[in-house]
Amino acid sequence: MTATVARTRGLVKRYGSFTAIDAVDLELTENRIYGLLGRNGAGKTTLMQLLTGQIFPNGGELEVFGRPPAEHADVLRRLCFIAEAQRYPDTFTPAHVLAAAPWYFENWDAAFAERLVADFRLPLKRRIKKLSRGQLSAVGVIVGLASRADLTFFDEPYLGLDAVARHIFYDRLLEDYAEHPRTVVLSTHLIDEVANLLEHVILIDQGRILLDRDAEEVRGSATTIAGAASVVDSFVADRAVIGRDRLGGLASVTIDGRLDRAERVRAAELGLELAPVSLQQLIVHLTGTDLDGAGDAEGKAAA
Amino acid sequence: MTPTPAPRTADATHGAGGHAAALVAGSRPSARGLQRNPIWRVVRLHAVNPSVFFGVPWIILGGAWAVSMIIGLIGLGATGSTEDMVGMRYSWAVLSPQWYLVVVGVQAIGLTFPFALGFGSTRRDFWLGTALMFVLVSAEMAVATATLVQIEKATHGWGIGMHMFDALWYGQNGWLFDFYSTFAVQLLVLFIGAFATTVYMRWRIPGMMVLTFVAIAIVLALVAIATFTRSWGAVYAWLAGIGLVGLFSVLLGLAAVCAVGGYLVIHRATPR
Repeated sequence: MTATVARTRGLVKRYGSFTAIDAVDLELTENRIYGLLGRNGAGKTTLMQLLTGQIFPNGGELEVFGRPPAEHADVLRRLCFIAEAQRYPDTFTPAHVLAAAPWYFENWDAAFAERLVADFRLPLKRRIKKLSRGQLSAVGVIVGLASRADLTFFDEPYLGLDAVARHIFYDRLLEDYAEHPRTVVLSTHLIDEVANLLEHVILIDQGRILLDRDAEEVRGSATTIAGAASVVDSFVADRAVIGRDRLGGLASVTIDGRLDRAERVRAAELGLELAPVSLQQLIVHLTGTDLDGAGDAEGKAAA
Repeated sequence: MTPTPAPRTADATHGAGGHAAALVAGSRPSARGLQRNPIWRVVRLHAVNPSVFFGVPWIILGGAWAVSMIIGLIGLGATGSTEDMVGMRYSWAVLSPQWYLVVVGVQAIGLTFPFALGFGSTRRDFWLGTALMFVLVSAEMAVATATLVQIEKATHGWGIGMHMFDALWYGQNGWLFDFYSTFAVQLLVLFIGAFATTVYMRWRIPGMMVLTFVAIAIVLALVAIATFTRSWGAVYAWLAGIGLVGLFSVLLGLAAVCAVGGYLVIHRATPR
């Protein structure tokens, strides 16, 4: 049976009158890769700061490895969280970070870290303040990977990384994850980039969980139908539409749910094209109602 | 040393349920020893770049010494005598590294603290390790300063009657007193910087304003009390009574107050 590594019930975090995390129920199980997705300011970093005991909740329950994480050394030593806006001591270089890491992470693999430094071409002797955004992200990625913590958080690990570096990141993550299974939480708003990596998707918007489901299920949970506008419209007439694009006489409509065999055959006969929906499209539908005007998306979120 | 919090069973907080049993409570055997001691590794984190606590103070001290030497040599050139330059006793050059170490105290909390939290240190261990680091650095600076005072005296002001270390209150009550006074002042400036920053890390700007106003109010209240009760004479008499040793003990006591205050405040402090 899979064990729960972290659990929240009705978790609340407020900053003054702003509610950053609003009654969140969540459960993370061991040996799984989670995508914590959402727009900027949705509450991703706040949630990770709560789970790692860096900030204190205003309400609700929070347990990581069976205890509230803050100030519990036996919980904290199993976590790794390098925040996107992580602050480093002024005079630190990446070499200092990597020198200190083995004192704090008992599973630290120095050889792996060294290989990653070469992969990312990280200048070890340059001050952290002087690193580019991508190099700064690389520091966090290297610590996150080489620490092999039971529960590892990557906060926007892609920020500033070039395409090659991003590929190295997910190649290394998958390789190492296969050999050393652990729970990984990856926060990002670049959804398509990570879509294939994720086993489970948690979608957060305005501090609330909109979606908490197996990634495969999410991918199969919607279908896009494209073709002549009038034909498409009649085909989807009595279905829950979560997105609609129109270009001249052509329409592309995304519906909630999958089509059964008979419906697929009928669609083919009508000359309609069926396509799976990418995670990113689906999430834009769920969170970006103001972007594409699909005003009815909100109600579908809970579905 | 580390009190382990009483293990709270999941059942106690959530009632019965399958989830509680599934929670991975527990611990894996970990490598013990000094290297991973939760307090000592904070000391090592502060020292991983040794220039901050050990390098720069010596560069500043060396620079101040060079300037003092040049002033001494100018004096030598002008008067042609290596007579004792008593006027240089009022130079504050000997205290120059202390101002820098206020900044170090601030940055230890402002920057190293958020970093250590990311690496999984507890706030408590971080503060204790930082305090230990402060004590070690203060002791090192105190040994060095007290010893340099003796060297300066033994060499007749580096051969030219110059005063840098044998200045202010130094060089008059022996090595041990010079050690004690430097240690007290050094520890105080480090802890004041660190304590004020923990207040900031916990309550941000409002906390800093309250701290400043409270500090000013306390000073004003003491002045008012002494003035209205006409007890300034008694205050001076008390200061004279406790002597220099007593005065530096008061400073050491203030450092201890800041140390305890920081320990209490940092428990709920949060990085930005």
